[in-house]
Amino acid sequence: MKVRMPENYERADIAGFILPVSLFTIWYVATQDGGVPAYLLPSPRDLILTALDFVTGSESLTPYAGTFSVHSLASVKRVLSGFCLAAAVGLPLGFLTGRIALAKTSLDPTVHLIRIVPGIGWLPLAMVWFGVGEKTTLFLISLAAFFPIYVNAAQGASSVSPMLVRAGRMLGANDLAIFTTVIFPAAIPSTVAGLRLGLGLSWAYLVLGELTGVTHGLGAVMMDARMLGNVEMILVSMIFIGILGRISDMILVGSFRKLNLLKRGFEE
Amino acid sequence: MKAANISATDISKSFSIPDENDLLHVLEDIHFEIREGEFVTILGPSGCGKSTFLNILAGFEEVDSGYAICCGEPITGPSPERAVVFQSPVLFPWLDVKDNIMYGLKQLGKKKDESETLSLEYLEAVGLEGFGNYYPVQLSGGMQQRVALARSLVLGPKVLLMDEPFAALDAQTRYNMQQLLLQLWENNQQTIVFITHDVEEALLLSDRVCIMSKRPGSIIEQIAVPFERPRPISLTGTSEFSMLKSHILSRLLT
Repeated sequence: MKVRMPENYERADIAGFILPVSLFTIWYVATQDGGVPAYLLPSPRDLILTALDFVTGSESLTPYAGTFSVHSLASVKRVLSGFCLAAAVGLPLGFLTGRIALAKTSLDPTVHLIRIVPGIGWLPLAMVWFGVGEKTTLFLISLAAFFPIYVNAAQGASSVSPMLVRAGRMLGANDLAIFTTVIFPAAIPSTVAGLRLGLGLSWAYLVLGELTGVTHGLGAVMMDARMLGNVEMILVSMIFIGILGRISDMILVGSFRKLNLLKRGFEE
Repeated sequence: MKAANISATDISKSFSIPDENDLLHVLEDIHFEIREGEFVTILGPSGCGKSTFLNILAGFEEVDSGYAICCGEPITGPSPERAVVFQSPVLFPWLDVKDNIMYGLKQLGKKKDESETLSLEYLEAVGLEGFGNYYPVQLSGGMQQRVALARSLVLGPKVLLMDEPFAALDAQTRYNMQQLLLQLWENNQQTIVFITHDVEEALLLSDRVCIMSKRPGSIIEQIAVPFERPRPISLTGTSEFSMLKSHILSRLLT
């Protein structure tokens, strides 16, 4: 009897390193003495020092020395609350739309109409409604993250193979069991893809919201540093947003794996 | 004589054709009876509605007119008493083999340790001992179909409805699966309705062959298979077998 083993290990490939290494080299050479001035592009060394100083506060190079935890905590809190709000509304509505024709016909056209308006387009209105800062940021994040979560949950729920539903019924599952043991797990891959997109957008709209004026947050640091002409801090904030975004994505995917909901069985 | 286990009377079924104001007549006035413990194959040209008929017996489709009765009760929906084995295995890809087999037992509210013992027993019965922790995608098509068989049989169904279950398998695997099915049937004596388009398969497996006409399908001839069991593969070389086979083929082609 033959057994297929999954081949999902990744091989480190030299080709993948060529571009980043050459970019880094060009950056390094360009910022040497007589090259690009530091107020436009700081050298890699300065950037790393500023980043370390931002986290530990050991060098006191900038006014932001040692404030990383305060700012990142504020940002993470905003992303988390906005994202959770979007998921709390988007997932149930998405599953309803995906499985119930009445929900789809009554809900879907309106949602897609609103979706056409780019999230940034809501900024002026949000500032009128909620003022600058906290509430506007939360509103923008949850609005932007809602759409991919909703659309993908609906897509996942509606494209569950009818044969799987028949199999479940034939094995004695009632309506509730069909939903929890067939529709929900079968829709998970698509739903998780939507959640990941939503989380990514949450970080994007976090920056937009924080730029409008909050006291703490990585977006606020960026805006503040721009006014002080501190390019290092802008770049450092960008890098940390990237890192935190990646970590949050890994936690999201990892927790679904941990719950045994994402499995290689889905390769089918 | 025991009462007929399944009886279908005057069954007709049409489907509406999308974008057209027309009906596709799939089944017309089907009469069909099967005794308890009998193994019946239904043979028919493709598109004759044999799968639709099986879906009606399974409770997946409603009839337009007529009655389908199982064990004295009208068929109104799917039930674990009438287990179905589909053409493709249709396992739950997110569950491992053991959990797939335990799925139905869980729905029945069976205790966990009891279900585990039962599922291991049936895993062994279909020749897959040691594969409980594999996921369906890691198994070959024939092995997946064995799991599908075990998943249905573990519920102790009275009726097994099989919709061309071995059609997608290679000749050797198909033969092994046929032998496995016969062996399981001899042990448990379920009533089996088995859809196929393979005449040899029908003659090797069943007590009786029902031949369906082209669409709209109805049963045009029933033949009691005269061969003694067990039926070795060499039976297919005998003149009696060939004559019966060619008779059935000629009925299918008209």
